[in-house]
Amino acid sequence: MAAAAVVNGTASSSEWEGRYYHVDQILDRSGPRTDPSFLAGDEVKEFLREKCKILVIGAGGLGCEILANLALSGFKDIHVIDMDTIDISNLNRQFLFRQKDVGKSKAIVAAEFIMNRVPGVKVTPYFGKIQDKDEDYYMQFNLIICGLDSVEARRWINATLVNMVDSDNPESLKPLIDGGTEGFKGQARVILPTVTSCYECSLDMLNKPTAFPICTIANTPRLPEHCIEWASVLEWPKVHGDKKLDTDNPEHISWLYQVAAARAKEFKIEGVTYSLTQGVVKNIIPAIASTNAIIAASCCNEAFKIATSSAAYLNNYFMLIGTDGVYSYTFEHEKRDDCPVCGGQSLAITVNKEWTVERLIDMLIERQDIQVKKPSLSTPGKQIYFQAPPQLELATRPNLEKKISDLVPDGGEITVTATTLPFNLSLRVKYT
Amino acid sequence: MSTSESQDIEEATATIAPGQPDDKTRRYDRQLRIWAASGQAALEASRILVLSSSATSTSILKNLVLPGIGHFSILDSTLTTPADAGNNFFLNASQSIGKPRAQEAVPLLRELNESVQGEAVIQDVKELLSTDQGKDWLRSFSIIIAHNLNNDVLAPLSTLLWANPNGPPLISVRSAGFLAEFHIQYHEHSVSQSHSENAPSLRITRPFPALLEWARSLDLQNMDPTDHSHIPMVVILVRALDEWRKSHDGSLPKTAAEKKEFKNSILAMKIKLDEENFEEAEAQAWRVWSEPAVPSDIQALFSLPPLPTSPQHNSTFHALLQSLSAFVSDPSGPGTLPISATLPDMKSDTKNYVRLQNLYRAHAEVEKTKFKEIFAAKYPEIAKTTNPDEVDSFVKNAHHIRVLRGKQWGALDRDREAIVNSLTSQPRETATHLALSALSNLLSRNAEVTIDALNAEVLSTVGQDVDLPEELEAAVGEIARAPTADLPNTAAFLGGLVAQEAIKVITEQYVPLNGYCVVDLIDSWTGVIN
Ligand SMILES: [Zn+2]
Repeated sequence: MAAAAVVNGTASSSEWEGRYYHVDQILDRSGPRTDPSFLAGDEVKEFLREKCKILVIGAGGLGCEILANLALSGFKDIHVIDMDTIDISNLNRQFLFRQKDVGKSKAIVAAEFIMNRVPGVKVTPYFGKIQDKDEDYYMQFNLIICGLDSVEARRWINATLVNMVDSDNPESLKPLIDGGTEGFKGQARVILPTVTSCYECSLDMLNKPTAFPICTIANTPRLPEHCIEWASVLEWPKVHGDKKLDTDNPEHISWLYQVAAARAKEFKIEGVTYSLTQGVVKNIIPAIASTNAIIAASCCNEAFKIATSSAAYLNNYFMLIGTDGVYSYTFEHEKRDDCPVCGGQSLAITVNKEWTVERLIDMLIERQDIQVKKPSLSTPGKQIYFQAPPQLELATRPNLEKKISDLVPDGGEITVTATTLPFNLSLRVKYT
Repeated sequence: MSTSESQDIEEATATIAPGQPDDKTRRYDRQLRIWAASGQAALEASRILVLSSSATSTSILKNLVLPGIGHFSILDSTLTTPADAGNNFFLNASQSIGKPRAQEAVPLLRELNESVQGEAVIQDVKELLSTDQGKDWLRSFSIIIAHNLNNDVLAPLSTLLWANPNGPPLISVRSAGFLAEFHIQYHEHSVSQSHSENAPSLRITRPFPALLEWARSLDLQNMDPTDHSHIPMVVILVRALDEWRKSHDGSLPKTAAEKKEFKNSILAMKIKLDEENFEEAEAQAWRVWSEPAVPSDIQALFSLPPLPTSPQHNSTFHALLQSLSAFVSDPSGPGTLPISATLPDMKSDTKNYVRLQNLYRAHAEVEKTKFKEIFAAKYPEIAKTTNPDEVDSFVKNAHHIRVLRGKQWGALDRDREAIVNSLTSQPRETATHLALSALSNLLSRNAEVTIDALNAEVLSTVGQDVDLPEELEAAVGEIARAPTADLPNTAAFLGGLVAQEAIKVITEQYVPLNGYCVVDLIDSWTGVIN
């Protein structure tokens, strides 16, 4: 066997006859739904086990599962990126970590665990942010699997991979497999940048985060959540000044909890608990091992099929709801022509010609398909409004009161930038 | 550091940071937000038996050990093969080859969670099925999960467990390559905490006296404008409907035109253009015509014929269900399910919202007391021994209770009419199920697995004269390709799905599968055959 010969030099325990008995049943022959281009036998095994290089983004709930599945499937050159350290609340599902690992890098501990358990697999960890790496780094991989809970990071990697596509170089198209879970629900999808719908195309499918109006929090609290928001958004800065609220610091959470509980008592509102306080301020998403296992397995299964061509791969979205029986839905999510990342056109927006720049900014913040926090606006010729640096903010602030139609002509283009936006969004304005 | 010193520090930190949870709560925080302390307690009390320590079996167990079941046993008499060492994460790779597989897997599973107990039982299930002692042992678990147990052994096991209504549910899992299925066998499974996302009725059309009194007492024209803009939408709807009824012989808006007119009557109450509470009331006007006194699925449960094989632990649930039925038909009662104490958020101020919440809470308490009286009168013995928390939880969730009635494993294959109908209505699911069953029959007989042999087995189940869908060819061909492949990704996928259903059965929260769940990881779908 070609694959065995390479690794064999090290130790007899790192490769053994029959190791791939299960996977080889798939790789030695094709099935009724296998593409005719499938090269059954040694060639595909050699590619999978000796040449294919795969990147896993995230070594958390999904990442731990993904790393184990890839290693057992026969991927031998795996890289993993994660900027987080291990917390005790990870241990109910992130099964490569133990109590003694709390505080250490997820990427490093996970990589070591996999290499110890599955001989002959090389896992290269990077303890840091995906944004630290450039296009050359991402170019080295054949496939990328993403198991993140951050929308912002996923938008960044998606936009980066779409930008990397060079039509003259087929190798520049890196399939991105993305998974996500919440409680008993989850989804897995295959993104072929510029070919299929991308992460940005489906941004409006995300649940809108619950935002409580400041006036409710300040004046008419009704729910325990309103009291907690009051403590964290209004009272914390008032009492602690510039000291930043650290939601991972139990003393900070305790302080919020006490302040929120006192306010709740004053208003006769019930239900403020430590757990709820933590849930609200950290925006905690419930998570369990089983859902992560399903979604991670789905992601790795697609990676395996793409890497080997042993069977058709998902086109392109698998959604699971496990709260009432086992319900899932597999469908093709359609590419959006006006997707700001992969659509190649500017996003058309209709604006009342009486609107001020400020009103337009509010509208952009509210739009679920854009999801931007503090946008700066400019046209090819001039700056409209900049959030930073302070001098520029000050200089452009008077524009907030002006009508947008006085600054940009009908059909004109506005470029939106923001620190949370991994690309420049181009808007084509039409007035009514 | 001495013990007293460390205690002092603990106490000191506790005073600095009050309310902080203990280590166990912190470890389980993300799951406690799903099934709460009651679900966790049920998990911790469970004892689970898994037949075989295949890659799929250990994947399932991993997802049960992590959230903290009480105890697991792995029943497996085989020795680790080179193939096992290659596809199973919970073996020590080549070092485990030749050693008992279960014994190798148990410590690696136990290290996932120190509070879980586990044991390897190196025995063959066939032996256990042949002695009374063995049968008793099998019946002593909370749930039994079997992976790729061939039909010749699975059939007697399922019969043994089915014969005793109080016996554990059986989850039988089968997989080959990219295809898989699993079935849950139970006579009946009841759920009071289904965690439905549908909000319970606010009972606008049948307001309780204090609420109606509030709605009627409002002097909408002359009240303070700020107060006017803080009337909760529930009160607005009750008021608007009260006035509507006065001018419509007590009936509700029925036709589209009437509904529109009713909505307009709400908007006409506004004294300023931007009163969001009235806009909210208009948007919620559907509650007036779309909230039945008793949802039809709950009504259907009231007339559910009793099951002679209903498990013992369901008797309390059925007593509560019949008491609920009596509560609804009680002439002195509201004619509906007990009112829910939880209100959704709505446009209002603190004073009005808290007042409304207290009214609902107080009335929910009244109706719960009434319910308990009915329960105690109808079922004095059961009521005496029932945990009050269970009654509270039942009443609180009365709008979303569920009862599932299952079938024995294999019953579908013995019912030719059902399977033929299923082939027409769900061709891909049924074809995959038949192909997997055929595989197991062949493996039971040590027969060679070929496309022809699989097809012949399928025909012997469905009958020779049945039109077979093209999906069967796809399934049979795939199984002939990889008849004994326990693929790591398929194993992990099943590990998640099966553990999730086991958790729902054990915690009696959320709604578990009823029937077969079929999985195809080529086209990436799952489907259910009831
Ligand atoms: Zn796109």
